[in-house]
Amino acid sequence: MDRKTINVTINGEQYIRNVEVYMTLAEFLREEIGLTGTKIGCNEGECGGCTVIFNGRPVNSCIVLVNEIDGGDVLTIEGMSQDELHPIQEAFLEVGAVQCGFCTPGMVMSAKAILDQNHHPSEAYIRKNMEGNICRCTGYVRIMKGIILAAERMYGKAE
Amino acid sequence: MSISPIIGTTVLRKDGKDKVTGHAKYGADWNISGQLYGAIFHSPVPHAKILKIDTTKAKAYPGVRCVITGADIGNARFGGFIADQPFLAIGKVRYKGEPVAAIAADTERIAKEALKLIEFEYEELPVVDSIEDAISCKGLVNETWKDYTIFGMAHPVEGTNIMDRFELINGDIEEGFKQADVIVENEFRCGMLQHTVMEPHSAIGDVTDDEITIYAPAQSPFSTRSMLHHALGYPLNKIRIICTEIGGGFGSKAEPKLEMLVAVLSKAARRPVKLVYTRDEEFNATFTRASVLYKIKTGATKDGKLCAQKVQVWWDTGAYGGFGPRVNYNAGYASNGPYFIPNAYTDSYCMVTNHSLGSAYRGFGVSEAAQAYEMQMDEVAKALNMDPVEFRLKNVLRDGSVSVTGETMKSVGVAKCLEAASKNLGWSEMPERWVDEDGKLHGKGIACFIKISGTPSTTSCTVRMNEDGTLLINSASREMGQGVRTVLTQFASSVTGISVDRIMVAQTDTSITPYDKTTTSSRSTFHSGNAVLEASHELVRQVTELVAKKWKCNFEDVHLDPETGMFTCKTDDSLSLDINKIGKSGILKEERPIIAVGKYGTKDIFDPVDEKTHASKRPTIMWMMGAQAAEVAIDMKTGKVEVVHISAAHDVGKAINPLGCIQQVEGGLSMGYGHALLEEMIYENGHLKNGNMVDYKVPTFMDSDFKSSIELVEVAHPEGPYGAKGIGEPVVAPTGAAIANAVSAALGRRIHSIPIKPEKIMFGEEGEYASKI
Repeated sequence: MDRKTINVTINGEQYIRNVEVYMTLAEFLREEIGLTGTKIGCNEGECGGCTVIFNGRPVNSCIVLVNEIDGGDVLTIEGMSQDELHPIQEAFLEVGAVQCGFCTPGMVMSAKAILDQNHHPSEAYIRKNMEGNICRCTGYVRIMKGIILAAERMYGKAE
Repeated sequence: MSISPIIGTTVLRKDGKDKVTGHAKYGADWNISGQLYGAIFHSPVPHAKILKIDTTKAKAYPGVRCVITGADIGNARFGGFIADQPFLAIGKVRYKGEPVAAIAADTERIAKEALKLIEFEYEELPVVDSIEDAISCKGLVNETWKDYTIFGMAHPVEGTNIMDRFELINGDIEEGFKQADVIVENEFRCGMLQHTVMEPHSAIGDVTDDEITIYAPAQSPFSTRSMLHHALGYPLNKIRIICTEIGGGFGSKAEPKLEMLVAVLSKAARRPVKLVYTRDEEFNATFTRASVLYKIKTGATKDGKLCAQKVQVWWDTGAYGGFGPRVNYNAGYASNGPYFIPNAYTDSYCMVTNHSLGSAYRGFGVSEAAQAYEMQMDEVAKALNMDPVEFRLKNVLRDGSVSVTGETMKSVGVAKCLEAASKNLGWSEMPERWVDEDGKLHGKGIACFIKISGTPSTTSCTVRMNEDGTLLINSASREMGQGVRTVLTQFASSVTGISVDRIMVAQTDTSITPYDKTTTSSRSTFHSGNAVLEASHELVRQVTELVAKKWKCNFEDVHLDPETGMFTCKTDDSLSLDINKIGKSGILKEERPIIAVGKYGTKDIFDPVDEKTHASKRPTIMWMMGAQAAEVAIDMKTGKVEVVHISAAHDVGKAINPLGCIQQVEGGLSMGYGHALLEEMIYENGHLKNGNMVDYKVPTFMDSDFKSSIELVEVAHPEGPYGAKGIGEPVVAPTGAAIANAVSAALGRRIHSIPIKPEKIMFGEEGEYASKI
């Protein structure tokens, strides 16, 4: 089996691992590094549960091969908060954006990617950019509210 | 007595922080040392005689530790009501996706590679691919029913595909129709749906010849334990189900599946085995919401009163019984809706087919029933030239009405819900249908429903005080997003005065947690709520004894105010103690542990049902009711239905945690929207054609752009904890019907089936308008 040594920064920590080349980033995070916050819902890039931020952009980690991340920088849900919750996490809790919680890590990561790019996103912008993250419990209503509340807290109200 | 302010106050989710940080551990997040990885060889065909299963090459594959087939297990079968389901196929396969062989290997990849080496030879049999095929006996899914043990309510008919029949008989149906001035007859259908829980099913089994330990995201761990006991013969105290966090249940994790597979695979491998299903396996090899055919004939007098109704139902329950009989029963009880109908007859069948298993799905058939009878009610109203809301209000059950099973109803909130839902939509100011400036057709629709909660059933719990004065609740009511964990802390707080942030609910483990029948049927707030209240009162008694001992005064003189949490003494004003500070008071030191037991059961309240007519003066502890109204806009150029506004009003008895109730309704509206407009499992000759998340459409963020108005109606339940009723399943019950009725109003023609896809709008449900386009 083909193996390769991968050198990657995850949540600010460096990891060097020799792994099978066809391992996906989601598997790498969950099984090699032990970061199980990244969830695999479909393993075919359709549900967004495994969303992480790779080199500043949101990716479905279940369809990214470890080969592609060598030398890169990954942020997962575990890297979102240290002593305090990230404002997105706090807002999700406060408005009730969480039910079963399985989609939540992916939602938080996608929301972060949106707010990194657009400090005052419209509802339509959020809908379009969150479309790839599926939630079966909430009807998305409070996830929307959470993202807007977090944006206001992080960047102030839109002019 | 005043109620503690914690009841009716929004409390943020106890499990919220673990979930937003990624710390919560769902099924696949667990690993245990020494575990192998499982993979299942699923039948590639829907109905076939097994000729040969050769596992020689798979066994020889490096890293494979064990391969088993049905022959290795013997004739053990399981099922909640009828034990018809083999662990691995024996003799025949009955649906595409049925487990045929199981592999345990060093890694998941090796296990999956080895699957390709299994040689499976079979002879295909005629596929029972629809309700009609099942009725006409195109093929027999089971040649005989005689070999299966029946535990409960399954009533199979030998020589047919009928696995269960349910009848409800009230009054004289023939006489009833004679009184009718209008008679309306219709057929309605709902397509097959997939729960599409975000967390795929998974389980770890650690089994020896003596003991079974299972780790799984199970909704009903005690029922799983019982099924393992019956099927494999292990005593109950040697079977342990350790529950993980559940990433969405909706009924799909109510009956065991992977739990059974890892049990036999781990036993054979003599190692722990972890098995996680892929999304493809989720679609093909777990559970569905059965498709269903309703034929309804309704009679009403010209003054707008219902006088007779005949309902015939056929469920496509899939290849094995599963929870099908329970769906048949619950939906059968609900089949006439929340109406006063003096003469009613329901005849309902579970038909087995060569499809994936129909099981519990958020409501046990109640939303499918509501779709049928609520579309029918609109047609009856139309025949009488009455407004749909007015017609319903004239016929709905009220306090004191006698139901179709002979029960004198109480705590009936449906009329209030109908009034609230229609008012909040602006029903009376809207025409039935109109065209907007963009040329879209608008219409309004209403629907209400009634739902039972499974009865009789028992729930128990313990509440324990730790050395620091915090509380730990042990309950098997499983958190799966519906918020039960939070609600239980509110109940304990309301009695003890201990703040909710000092009360935890432990994860469920059948070797530690007291018995609870199941987390289904929207029963947890009601049943576990009552049990926790009882335990909390007992806990207060135990603590009060210790306080009295410390204060050297009489037990009767010590009083706890649950609102403030302060203990005081009648005979000595100088004594007081905050229960939240009891840990540091020294009162608990070297005393017996404070553990209180609570129980709630409904056996004494339940009036055993008549086996033939299903008449009962109290068939359920709790009826749940509500109503929703919808406005839709249809683009006739594309056939796309846009939901403009849904107004929901649900009788929750008492909203213990208002935000939790609202979350349920919001999520239910989205799910009901999916059922009404998007979702359907499409089978062709027993093969699922859209078993992935691209082709099976669940609502996305793009489908969430509609207005919703939500009103929580509170008609207190006399036996409910602070009057509370269930809300988890009801929220989705009327949505499909309300949307379908709005679409029918907009079109000016009746829609008879869901989902309402654009082609049904454009070409008609039978394609009858295709040539006119």
